[in-house]
This record gives sequence, structure tokens and C-alpha cells, in this order.
Amino acid sequence: MLRLAWLLPALPFAGFVALALLGRRLPRATATAVGVGSVGLAFAVAVAIGAAWLAAPPAGGAYVQHLWRWFDVAGFAPDVALFVDPLALVMCGVVTGVGFLIHVYATEYMRDEPGYARFFASMNLFVGSMLTLVLADDLLLLYLGWEGVGLCSYLLIGFWYRDAANGRAARKAFVVTRVGDTAFAIALFLIVRELGTLEIDEVLVRAAAQWPAGGTLAILVAALLLAGAAGKSAQAPLQVWLPDAMAGPTPVSALIHAATMVTAGVYLIARMNVLFALAPPVMTAVMIVGAATLLLGAFSALAQRDLKRVLAYSTISQIGYMFLALGVGAWSAAVFHLMTHAFFKALLFLGAGAVLLATHHEGDVLKLGGLRRRLPVTFWTFVIGGAALAGVPLVTAGFFSKDAILWEAWSRGGPVPWAVGLLGAFLTALYVSRVILLTFFGEQKHAAEPERGLRIQLPLVALAALSIGGGWVHGGFDRFLAGDAHGGEALFEVVAAVISLAGVGVAWLAWRRGLWARPDGALQRFWRSGWGFDAVYHTLFVRPYVWFARANARDVFDRGADAIAGLARGGNRLLVASQDGRVRTYVAGLALGAVVLLAIGVIFARPEPAGAETATEVRP
Amino acid sequence: MNGTDLVALGPLLALGAAAVVTLLSIAVRRHQRATATIAGLGLVAAACALPAAADVAPRQVTALVRIDDFALLYIGLFLAAAFATIVLAHDDLRRRAEPHREEFHVLVLLSTLGACVLATSTHFASFFLGLETSSVALYALIAYPRSGPAHAEAGLKYLLLAGASSAFLLFGMALVYADLGALSFDGFAAALLAGRGTPALVWPALALVVAGASFKLAVAPFHMWVPDVYQGAPAPVTGFLATVSKGAVLAALLRLFVALGGVERPVVVWTFGALAVTSMLAGNLLALSQRSLKRLLACSSVAHLGYVLVAFLAAAPVALEAVTWYLVAYFVTTLAAFGVVTVLAGGDREADALDDYRGLFWRRPWLAALLTGCLLSLAGIPLTAGFLAKFYALAAGTSEARWALVVALVVNSALSAFYYLRVVVAMAAPAPAAAPARRVPLGAGVLLAVLALLLVGLGVYPAALTALIRATATALS
Amino acid sequence: MNESYVSLLVLAAVALGLGTVILMLNGLLGPSKPTASKLDTFETGNEPEGDARQRFSIRFYLVAILFILFDIEVVFLFPWAVLFKDYVAAGLGTFMFVEMAVFVGILAIGLAYVWRKGALEWD
Repeated sequence: MLRLAWLLPALPFAGFVALALLGRRLPRATATAVGVGSVGLAFAVAVAIGAAWLAAPPAGGAYVQHLWRWFDVAGFAPDVALFVDPLALVMCGVVTGVGFLIHVYATEYMRDEPGYARFFASMNLFVGSMLTLVLADDLLLLYLGWEGVGLCSYLLIGFWYRDAANGRAARKAFVVTRVGDTAFAIALFLIVRELGTLEIDEVLVRAAAQWPAGGTLAILVAALLLAGAAGKSAQAPLQVWLPDAMAGPTPVSALIHAATMVTAGVYLIARMNVLFALAPPVMTAVMIVGAATLLLGAFSALAQRDLKRVLAYSTISQIGYMFLALGVGAWSAAVFHLMTHAFFKALLFLGAGAVLLATHHEGDVLKLGGLRRRLPVTFWTFVIGGAALAGVPLVTAGFFSKDAILWEAWSRGGPVPWAVGLLGAFLTALYVSRVILLTFFGEQKHAAEPERGLRIQLPLVALAALSIGGGWVHGGFDRFLAGDAHGGEALFEVVAAVISLAGVGVAWLAWRRGLWARPDGALQRFWRSGWGFDAVYHTLFVRPYVWFARANARDVFDRGADAIAGLARGGNRLLVASQDGRVRTYVAGLALGAVVLLAIGVIFARPEPAGAETATEVRP
Repeated sequence: MNGTDLVALGPLLALGAAAVVTLLSIAVRRHQRATATIAGLGLVAAACALPAAADVAPRQVTALVRIDDFALLYIGLFLAAAFATIVLAHDDLRRRAEPHREEFHVLVLLSTLGACVLATSTHFASFFLGLETSSVALYALIAYPRSGPAHAEAGLKYLLLAGASSAFLLFGMALVYADLGALSFDGFAAALLAGRGTPALVWPALALVVAGASFKLAVAPFHMWVPDVYQGAPAPVTGFLATVSKGAVLAALLRLFVALGGVERPVVVWTFGALAVTSMLAGNLLALSQRSLKRLLACSSVAHLGYVLVAFLAAAPVALEAVTWYLVAYFVTTLAAFGVVTVLAGGDREADALDDYRGLFWRRPWLAALLTGCLLSLAGIPLTAGFLAKFYALAAGTSEARWALVVALVVNSALSAFYYLRVVVAMAAPAPAAAPARRVPLGAGVLLAVLALLLVGLGVYPAALTALIRATATALS
Repeated sequence: MNESYVSLLVLAAVALGLGTVILMLNGLLGPSKPTASKLDTFETGNEPEGDARQRFSIRFYLVAILFILFDIEVVFLFPWAVLFKDYVAAGLGTFMFVEMAVFVGILAIGLAYVWRKGALEWD
């Protein structure tokens, strides 16, 4: 059964190829069948593999499927191979499972789009690339998937390309993540040069053997990987692209910018955790990045007016939790939160999408309200998702995963990370309750159509079920992933539960009872702008850069660049002049070449060593 | 000459017979489709003779030719390229409404035969015979359409310059013979390595041979005919000219220099190093300002032969593998690109100007995608055949620590991305008023699909080809 | 560089220089008094008449090239015929006969082709 692993990326890729080549000619029903079916089948394969794994785990805890050797030139021979282990299986399950539900949802959401086939082609390409990323046995293949998901993210954020703003958002996402990707690429170069391989297992073994803990190389490589992960996962200071990425269609936000792609950074660090363990300062940096991002995201989410932007900042904040967990070395807790987060955040996004469908894309929570009765299914599932996000105790998945992180933060990181996490939990409960209260309670301020059909509701219900049920597997999950299970202390669970309920309560008082009457403070505006990061970056990087570029338009380096361009242009002109179409010029070229070659022949001719069987001349 | 020799020569004999039969069929009755079918079957027959020949390989047949796995691989490559040319030309000739379209096929077969002889030659006589057989047929092919002066001009230029370059080649061979009294590669090498040659005579003589061959390879400064001839020739012929005739000469050069004990000598390194660097620079610089796609591809082919020569300069097994890989990738890409040019031709003119490609993505998405793939492959973007080809060239260059060549290769690759991407940008531009598009005929469509698959397939799964090439590379070294 | 080639280089330089200098001197020193008849095309002292670039019928070319083709065939046949007895004596008779039969056969097919295509007829 494990031998079917190659089908996981192959199926979505096949769907992509079919849709990309024939998309415009296929009837819509066929396009749907191909686009959703390929991911559905991949999900079935993932489930089958998971079941087989649970029934009889392979020896060594991992299964490698060598597909083929990509190429073998000059001692560098990267394999195209898949690496299946519990971590990869969890990721595959999340990507295909949540992906499948979102695809189903999208068939209704994107119903009236002219670019229907193009949408599903990109989505399938994304799923295929993401599965390549998580299954890669080789960092080169992982990088390929990494760039692939980046490309799909770009294509899908800018899906409605006729609006220039969407194109700009797509470009911003691409450029900002590129900063991280470059660091990642440099890390790969370093690894190849120092360790001579890119096969992940081998890299980890050799790194542990060759690099001393705390050594410069280990720190450098780990830091570069962290930069790559931070870019992809929208962590501070590279988080600025994610809120703008909400320009894409809502299913895209749910799949790529909440459930899967943005967690690739978490996956990368979890996968390379041995290497990170060799670099304690970088581990601390991961923790600090996570802690800072989770607060930053949570405060910003509190002040947003747009439904999807709240969720975007919330995603940033929740991935901050995962980084926090990674930073204290609790990578299985991070991956557990990754999974539950995928469930409830996808659910929240799809719920937000359902609201947008009903209100003709009115996303401002202050203009909405009272949708509870109009959209009952959406309401209830959204509340479940929100409860999971807020970490409402005992019944939701989010509670278990967040509690695990808090417990690990305390036991491994000490009181400060724990306190930050706790403050974050309070804020999370606050902002999610605010959104629910403003959107679904109170009086209805905006006309809303009734809910759409089953294809919207089924994914919502399924994800809601996962958002509740997903937490109860906690102990088994830890054993599956890391081979041991440690429950949190009861006292900590109580504290976490109280904090999150307190958040909900404060929100109720503030926005339902109207205690928060002040409309818009300076602080709120500051938070709404995402802590002013865009403005800061604009002032700090963009404007000085533009200024510098303007002021420096004629400096020495520029002269150098100009000189190269000028040389190229001059050479071009010279050579073009030689192309005068006359045979006599061309014959002159022949003669010139012959003279040069003759000269080389005359000048470098050496007598052969007498009687030698083979040429033994040494090179100059 | 016995039965085994005949089996070994099977592919060449089948090809020759195919040319004669095709000619005879034209004498009986003019019918384009029938003639094309006969010529195509001839190529298939020659290809079918390959396995039998491989069974008896390696085998030296007379002093002139040697049938080994290396030769057979190249013959197979040429046969495939000739087949592609015939398929594309079928469409092209029909569009041109030439009165006499059938003889085209005879010429293609003859030129291919010459190329195959070149790939097997182990003797300066067969070298020259193959070269001339291939060229003479090409003169006529280039000037085949009689619909305007451009074709005749291109044909005439090629004729005159090829004549001049053959003179260099012959003179070089004569000097080699004068000095060492040998014309077979092995005899030449043995005499040279025994220290019997006069260095000041034999190396300039080889330089003249290389000069003559360089004309065919179109490496700078022997490249000046390329843009004019590529533009003037009908697109399928251009594809043939860019692939088969170059590949054949390169195969013969490989054989010659492997026989001479590799490329270790400074004189060889300097000769081919200089040619490689000037070609890369000249090709890419010339291409920068091209407004004609055929001329642009012509200039790019000059640069690509420069890259190939970098690979050529590696040690024997690496060089054979790298050069052959590069050639296969280059064949696939070039044939696909000229295939797109062929099928895009409309009315009485070819789609040559860059403006003809403006907005192609919106008018002909498939063809535009394929052409984009070709251009990316030429630029060496990963997951295309061209990436690995360039990677091979780079690896070959670094394996010998020829850093000047490696740097030139990298700089030129960057330079070339500019003009390749400019075509892609033009294709993505808003479409001008749509001209009525011609349907892609079935044969050409299937061919282009196969080439597209190869283009990506070789980039993603190159293992099969690599294994094949490795097996043949040992045959020579 | 090898010392003995210096003389070669010197010779090349002198030859190139001498040629260039003489040609330039010619232009500089020689008196140039063009008249209409001096500039006219030289045609053995007669008045030039008509255009030198006359058109010939393509048929001349065709006949010439066909003649050369079959002429060469004879050139090959003669030595073969002269030596054929020696080959028979050496036991290569059948082989040589088949070889020549193939050669003549191909040419015969060529002849059939040009005949069918009307290249042998003047109109």
C-alpha cells in the first residue's frame, strides 16, 4: 500500500495537466470532476496509506520510495524520491483532506467564474506541489515544491487579474516570500558544499556528525532556513504579504493562505529539527519570532474591519504559536496545532466565504450583523470554528493543541513564553468573539441572500466536525508522531481554559453590551494597519531605496552596469554591421577565422613526446 | 565486404535505397503525399535496420566507416530529425503551392545520408564525402521554394561559402597527408603519437580542417552566413540545417579528436576555447536586437554551438556524454521551435517577424505555450531538456577547471535570457486584430506534441537517455 | 613562442606591408584623369554594345549538367573495365560486377527520372 505514495502528488498533477491543456474546451461538469476528483482520489490514497501504516508501520519508522534519479552529472545526483513518515503522513492527510473539502466548496463558490477551469488547474497544481514539498526525500525536490506552491499562490492571489490591485497583492506576496526563498536557496548551497548531499536524512546524519552543536556553520544554515520558513509562513518581519493575499478568492485563502502553504515553514523546521537542535541561538530566535508574531498578529486582528483580514492576521498569529512551539523544541506540539489549525481556520475562511456569497462580497464586519438567522448553518459552523480558534475548553480541537503548546512553553521555555502565549490566547478569544458578535448578532444591517446548497454546507459541517473531534486524538497523535505522549498538567489546562473564556466574556461585554463604544482610537488604527509594518517598511526600505536609487542614478556602480549594457550594445552594433548581407564580407569572416585558427595552430604546436602511446602533455 | 558488413551498413544502405526509390516513384507519378510516405517509410526502414546493425557493432567496414554504438545513436538521431523535417515540410510545401514539391524528399534523404556517413567516418575521405553529400543536397533544399528571390539568395550564399570552407578543409587534409602520409583517423593518430609529424605543419593543417568544419557548425567567426540563410530557407529546412548538418559534423569531430587522444593538448584547448567564447559572445550579442524570430534562433544557435564546444573540451567520456546530451536536447528544442514557425505561417509568408508573435498566447495558446517551452529550454530553465544540457556543459567545464570558459558560459546564459524572454513577453502582449489562423495539420500537430513531451520529459526524467548515451560513449573512448 | 617562427612572422608582416604600401602609393601618386572612354567597359577596343548580363536559356545548363553526370559515369567505367579481368582472377569478379551494376543501376534510374520529367527534350 505504501508503494502507492507516488500517486499522491501524481494525481493532482495529472488533474492540472488535463485542466491546463483542455480546460477551456471541457464542459464544466467534466472540469469539476477532474479538478475535485484528482484531489479526492489523492485523499483516498492518503487515507489508505495511513491505514496501512497504522496496521503495520514499516521498519525504521520511515518508508522511502525511489522514483528515479533526476540526473547524475559530475558527482551530483539528486534523486526524485518520496519520504513517507508520520510527519509527512499527517501533512498529506491535512493537505488532501482539507484540500478536498475546499475543492468541493469551490465548485459552488466559483460557480459563475469564467476562469473556472483555470482556477481548478491552479488549485490542483498547488496541491500537487504541496504534496511534493511534504513528501520530498531530497531538499532539492522540496525546494521545487516550495517554489511551486509559491507560484500557485501568486497565480491564485492574482486570480482576478483584471483588477490591478489584485495583481499588486500577488506581486507583493511573491516578492516578500522571495526574500525568504533566497535565504533558503543559500542554505541549500551551503549544505551541498559542506555536506555534499541534499537528501534530508543524510543531511541530518552528516550534520549531526560533522557540525558541533553551536558551531558557526550549523547556526548559519539554521538561520538561513529560518529566514526561508519565516518568509513562507508569514512570520515577523516578513508577515506583511499575507493580509494583502486575501485579494484571492476565498477558497484560495482557506487552502493556501491558512491551512497548508503558509504552514510549510513550520513543516520545514519540524523536518529539519535535528539541524536546528545543533544551533541553540537559532532555536531561541525561532521562539522569539513566534512569540513576537503571535502578539503582533493578535493585536492587529483585534482592530481589523474586514472579515478576511481578521482571519489573515489570526493565521499569522496562530503560526506564531507553532513557531513558539518549535522554538522550545516541541515540534510535535507544533505539528498538532498545525493540523487542528488547518481544520478550524479553513472552516472559518469557508464560513467567511459563505457570508461574502450571501452579502455580495461585503466583508466589513461593522456593516454586517444579525446574519445568525439568515445563515444558520454558516453561523453554527463559524461559531464552532471560532470556538476552536479561541480554545474553548474540552470540546474543541484548538483547546487541546494550544494547551499542549502552552504546557510545552512553560516546561521547556519558562514563564515568559508561557505568559506571551497566554496573553495571545486571551487576545485570540477576544478578536474571534468580536467578529462573531459583529457579524452574526445584533440587527441585520445588510441584505443577505439565503444560504447556497450542499456543496457549501457539507464542507462546513465536515470541517466543523474535525474542529471538534480533531483534538481528542491528542495522545495518539503524539505517539504516532514522536513516539511518546505527555499530557498537560491539569492546572495549566484550567488556567488556559479560564483565560480563553475570559476573552470571550470580555468580548461579549465590549461588543454585545456596547461597553466598547469608542469607535476608533489611534491605537486601533495602528493595529488595523498591522502595527504599521507596511508604512514602516515603506519608510524604512522602499522610500530610502527609491531615494537612493534616484540619487544614485549616475554613480560609479551604475556606470559599471551601464558599461556592461553599453558593451553589449556596442558589441551588438559592431556585429550587426558585419551582417551586411554581402558574401564578400562573410568570406572575409571565414578567412579571418582561418587565420586565427592557423595562428593558434602555429603558436601552440608542440612536438609529441617521441614514442609515447598516448598524449601525456600536461595542461597549461 | 561480406554479409556482416552489409548488415552493419544496413541503415546507410536503406537510406540510400530509399532515396533512389523515392526518385523512381517521382519518375512514375507525381504525388506529394505518396512521395512523402515513401520517403518516411524509407527513414523508418533505415531505423529498423539499426538494431541489427547494433548486434554486429562495433565493426570497421573498409577503412572508411566504422559502425559502432556511437555512430548508430547519431544515425538514429538524424533519422528522427529527418522524419520530423519531412512531416513539417509536408505542410510547408502544400502551403507554398510549389509546382514540383516531390523532389524535396529525395534531397532530405540524401542530405541525411551524408550526415549518417559523417557520423560513421573514420577517414578523411569519408569525412569529406559525407560532408559534401550532406551540403550539396542542402544547397537545393535551402533554395527550394521558387516563390521569391530570398530563398535563392540564401541558397547561393550557402553554396559559395560552403565551397570556400570546403577548400580550407581539403587543404588541411592534404597537408596532413603530406606530412604523415595517412588519411585514416587511426593512422593519423598513430603517426602523430609516434612523433613522426612536423608540429608546425600538422597542427596548422588540423586548424584548417577545424576551420572547414567550423563553417558547418557555424561557430564564430564562421557564423556570418547563418542569419541570412536561416531566414531565407523555408522553416522546416532551417530546422534540418540547424540540427542534422551541425550534429553530423560534431560527431565526426568528436571521433577525430578522440582518436587523437582527446583534447588535452594546449593547441586543441586554445582552438576550441577561442571558438567557444567567440561563438557565445557573437551569437548572443547579435541576437539582442533581432526583430525576426528565425534570425534570432539563428543567432541563438551560434551561441549554443559555443556552449557545446565547452562540453567538447572535457575529458573523453565526459565530453562524449555531455556533447551528445546537449545535441539531443538542442535537436528537440530547435525542431520544435522551427515546427511552430512552420505551422504558424499563413498565406504566402512565414511567421518570421517578432510582430507576428505579438499576442500569440491569446490567439494560439498551445503553440505559444510550446514556443515558450522551447525558448525556456534554450535559455536553460530547469525542468526542460535545455537545463540539463547546459548543466552538462557547465559540469564538463568545471570538471576540467576551465574557469574562463565556465564564466563565459554563465555570463552568456544571462545575456541570452534577455532576448528569449523578450519573445515570451511579446507573445503575452495584448493581441492585435486577429488574422484568420490556419489549422495545424494532423501530422505536424502530432509531431509537435511528441516534441513537447520530449522537451519536458527529458528535463524531468532524463535517466533513460543518459543511460543510452553512457552506453554509447564507451564505444568510442 | 618558438623562435624559428619569428622569421615567418617577419615575412608575413613584410608581405602584407609591401602589398598595402604599393597599392596605396598607386592611388596617391598615380595621375588620375578620367575621361568617358577611359571609364567605359573595355571590350578589345571596340565600342561596347548591349548589356553584358545576357540571359541564357536554363536548358543549356540542364544539358551541360546531364552531360557531366554521364561523362563521369564513363570515367568510372573505364578503369573498372580495364581492371575487371584482374579482379576475376583474384576471385572478386562477382563482387565487382555487382558493385558496378548497382552504380549503373542508380544512374539508370536517374536517367529514367530525367527522361520522364522531360529534361531531355529541348522544348
